[in-house]
Amino acid sequence: MSIARFSPFELLLLKSRSQVDTAKLLLLAWVLVHRQHVSEGQRRRRLAQVSVHFRHGHELAPIIHIAQQQDLKAIQLAAEVLRKECSKEHSLGVMHQAITVATDSGELSLANHYILRFLADLLNVEPLTLNTLFQELTGSPLATPEDPSRDAYWRIHDADYYAQKAREAEAAQQQAREAQEKAERQEKKRQQEEAERAHSKAQAEAERERNRQQEHARRQEQREHKKRQQRESQQEGAKQRSSYQRASSPPPPDRTARALAVLGLMPGASQVEVRKAYRRMAQLHHPDRFYTESEHQIALASARFQRIKSAYDYLMHTYR
Amino acid sequence: MRDLYQRLGVSPQANDEELQQAVARCPNSALRQDAKAVFEVPKRRESYNQALTTLSDIGQLRARLGLTHGAHWQGDVANDFSLPADQAVSRHDELVDRVSHAVILYNRLRGLRGIWLLIITFFVGTGIGVALGFILSKTLAA
Repeated sequence: MSIARFSPFELLLLKSRSQVDTAKLLLLAWVLVHRQHVSEGQRRRRLAQVSVHFRHGHELAPIIHIAQQQDLKAIQLAAEVLRKECSKEHSLGVMHQAITVATDSGELSLANHYILRFLADLLNVEPLTLNTLFQELTGSPLATPEDPSRDAYWRIHDADYYAQKAREAEAAQQQAREAQEKAERQEKKRQQEEAERAHSKAQAEAERERNRQQEHARRQEQREHKKRQQRESQQEGAKQRSSYQRASSPPPPDRTARALAVLGLMPGASQVEVRKAYRRMAQLHHPDRFYTESEHQIALASARFQRIKSAYDYLMHTYR
Repeated sequence: MRDLYQRLGVSPQANDEELQQAVARCPNSALRQDAKAVFEVPKRRESYNQALTTLSDIGQLRARLGLTHGAHWQGDVANDFSLPADQAVSRHDELVDRVSHAVILYNRLRGLRGIWLLIITFFVGTGIGVALGFILSKTLAA
């Protein structure tokens, strides 16, 4: 036998003129407490409105207080009383009241979704009956409750957050891009400065060097002038294009461009193209084709073939 | 609605750091994404906790009332929030017990009232007599 004191709800129940009504009142108050966007006064008025025909015979304030405290023992007691003393028709009436209290004008809150279902189970109301009743009372079918434990729920209910996050990410990206650009500019500037400094330093040295070399160079230049001019006029176009295409990479060795020119190709030709060109050129210039011609012709062809072959070998070794 | 704490294997009172570790440890990528969405913002966690409290309350109520297999209690909710039926007695029986206990005590008190009245009047009478004798002897001596 328990010697604990009577709890406030037990006292209310004992003093009540109708225990079932008091129990109903507590459960309806529980539903009301879980309704969102309703003030304290509105709750009290709504409960008074519902309980007009109840024969409880006591104040409503203590009931609301108990419901607000989420006193599980009291709610359990109320549920037991209700289950014990409610007939089938009566239970539908209780469900009716609970639904109207839960959804007077607004949405059914998440907690009330589960509370209503709990009451339906308690009062032996079938899901089908509950759905019909709900639809009749609110005009919309009883939906499955939303699930705040899922990502999708928050994407709908907290859309602002996601929009803001996307905006922030974009801004951060923009900022990063700007920072990178700035850093690049600074780097370039620094390199330029360094180059200038090195240049000025080198210039002084070069001045002396140049004076010394000038004599020597002039003599050599004269010797090479003729040879170089010939070559340059042949490949100037190719070289220009090559230097344009590979501006970023280290300046291409002159020899590659020349070897390509020997094969009749533009700079930047691929390996396959080189191989094809080599086959064609080799067939054209093979010394065996000229064996009917004079000795001189064969010698020239052989020299051309040699040049083509060496150019091809060079390209195959180094190119790409 | 699912009990993310239970599924991640952390207590609901865990701080953010523990939670994040548990989320990172979770092998299920879908659950990880959901948990991240719920726990990355404190406000969301708060409202989620509120729903969780309500649901575990209802789960407990159902366990006590024998409604863990109700037609309206199915899916994720029933999986995560159903409790084993505990040995707590019915509150209504408890109330009835308590009322009958109170009634017995009250009746006993009522039944014993006559005897108690006699005893009390006897003691009060003797007390008054002793006090009077004491005062009289004092005044006579003076």
